[in-house]
Amino acid sequence: MLTVENLSISFATDEGRITPVQGVSFSVEAGKTLGLVGESGSGKSISTKALMRLLPGNASLGDDTKITYWAKDGKEIEIHKIKPKSRALRDLRGGEIGMIFQEPMASFSPVYTIGNQMMEAIRLHRKCGKREAREIAVEMLNKVGISSPAERIDQYPHEMSGGMRQRAMIALALSAGPALLIADEPTTALDVTIQAQVLDLMRDLQRDLGMAMIFITHDLGVIAQIADEVAVMYLGTIVERGATRDVIRNPKHPYTQGLLKAIPSLDTLHDRLSPVPGDIPSPTERPTGCPFHTRCPDFINGICDVNEPPEVGGDAGRSVRCWLHKEPESGRSAA
Amino acid sequence: MLRFTLERLVGMVITMALVSVMVFIIMEIPPGDYADRYAFRKFSGTGVSVTEADVQAIREDLGLDKPMVLRYFDWIGNIVLRGDFGQAFAFETSVVKVIGDKVWLTLGILLTTLLLTYAISVPVGIYAAVKRGSSLDYGLTVFSYLGLALPNFLLALILLYFANKWFGADIGGLFSPQYQDAPWSLGKLWDLIKHLWLPAVVLAWSAVAYQIQTMRATMSDELNRLSVTAARARGVPEGKLLLKYPARLAINPIVSTIGFDVNRIFSELPIVAAVLGLTELGELLLKAYLDLDMYVAGAILLLLTFIIVFMNFVSDLLLAWLDPRIKLGA
Repeated sequence: MLTVENLSISFATDEGRITPVQGVSFSVEAGKTLGLVGESGSGKSISTKALMRLLPGNASLGDDTKITYWAKDGKEIEIHKIKPKSRALRDLRGGEIGMIFQEPMASFSPVYTIGNQMMEAIRLHRKCGKREAREIAVEMLNKVGISSPAERIDQYPHEMSGGMRQRAMIALALSAGPALLIADEPTTALDVTIQAQVLDLMRDLQRDLGMAMIFITHDLGVIAQIADEVAVMYLGTIVERGATRDVIRNPKHPYTQGLLKAIPSLDTLHDRLSPVPGDIPSPTERPTGCPFHTRCPDFINGICDVNEPPEVGGDAGRSVRCWLHKEPESGRSAA
Repeated sequence: MLRFTLERLVGMVITMALVSVMVFIIMEIPPGDYADRYAFRKFSGTGVSVTEADVQAIREDLGLDKPMVLRYFDWIGNIVLRGDFGQAFAFETSVVKVIGDKVWLTLGILLTTLLLTYAISVPVGIYAAVKRGSSLDYGLTVFSYLGLALPNFLLALILLYFANKWFGADIGGLFSPQYQDAPWSLGKLWDLIKHLWLPAVVLAWSAVAYQIQTMRATMSDELNRLSVTAARARGVPEGKLLLKYPARLAINPIVSTIGFDVNRIFSELPIVAAVLGLTELGELLLKAYLDLDMYVAGAILLLLTFIIVFMNFVSDLLLAWLDPRIKLGA
């Protein structure tokens, strides 16, 4: 239902032009969940913002970027070509693609009730009166597991607890009936028990509503629970992708391996955690060659720091960008 | 909201009571009293020698011999119960008659100035924040600093000159000569409006410059909030989005400083009024002090502070309406 080809995003800044996302391609199928994993600064958030054209004014998409979306009525929308203030874009935002954010408190306006903001979204995308919109909103709050929704709907965000706000946030994003939900670290700010509840809820809602989802997180543990497919991002490129089970059982890229080792586990309770060494470089100082070579434990001198590795494909959408996995004789690489 | 309003009302009454005590003390502080001044006026140059006993008699005549506390309660009691602000000695009539119309004119200038200030600075500030970094934004910033740097009386003179040159009108004062002493009518009101814009522009000038910058700064902050992005991601049309989400919060510092603006207008008004030849309260206040005409001075001080306290009350209510979180904290 959504394909992204060669997504590049650059920003005009005072220090010159930076390109934090380079040549990212992925697709999402109806009813499935794609997980985007990476550290802060890997470009996963802004990649999804580009899908809704929510990037700031100094950002621009690359010339060969193509974002195609098939709407609920079957129409094909070329998102990269939509005019910024058009009706088509307003219909797409919220009505076709919904978005939820990491900070539920900050994503609600504090000065309007939950109901006010939900009814606004509903009436923007469905032809209905105030009363009907209110009924839809109450039903949606009920669906996300908020008790006594008919009273809660008239509350302000600050009158709710953190977990409840996150549920309300999900209800808000879903109230306009999007076919694709982008969830930007929706569970990161929650404590672990509530995190599990929210993940359960999202999985149930996805099944009931038949939605597709793009789930952004830095936590491979969360991905394992919710995503069908996963794409690991590092410094604006996808370094490894594949079915979630495959990637987690058999990670190929040293970065994915590092991320998996960094997850605390009960089996390794007595050992120290092994973090991925170093920090993610700033997009202004993008390393030459493989972007990960500055932190890679398996760094090959003279190759990794000189040439950028091509994407090496495998079975069933599995691929990796790493010189360790380049099969020179096959020549199947697609750069 | 009702509870909040009542609480603020009680607060306002207490503030006014304290203010009235202070005003009365200020009235008492200047050395001498109107009895001295009256004796001097009446007998100076006549060759009659005035004894302490004569002054004391005048004092008793005017009721100035009673103890201060007693006079305070007489004074405030009459104001609250009968709307009687006492005697204006120098005018030999009641304070209410002396102040009369001037209160309404001062209020007229004040409200026109405030309306003009906010009607210009809020939309322009929003626009500058949205178009941040554009040449128009920089142009507005330059204008703002010019506005802040230009002294009021100079601006008044310049505007007076050009208004006279271009509109040919006798722009000084608040009324044209034919309406000066005429009873109130539609014609007189229209005449007032024609004269009111000039002092309002002069008084609003620096406030507009200042408030544009305030609005621009807070609006820029609010625009970056996640809640704005979230609303945009729900497909809210941009114009509605700007007004409903960031602007409502960004206007907060402007609303909360309404009281300061009123205060500033009152302090600048006398100079501007002197240049433009307006008859308003400030001028009268100065005269009352020179004459030691304490009840006139007291009434003016009390009215001015009442207006400021009342505008603060209005600003509190507006703030609570703008941001429902405030009511909980109260």
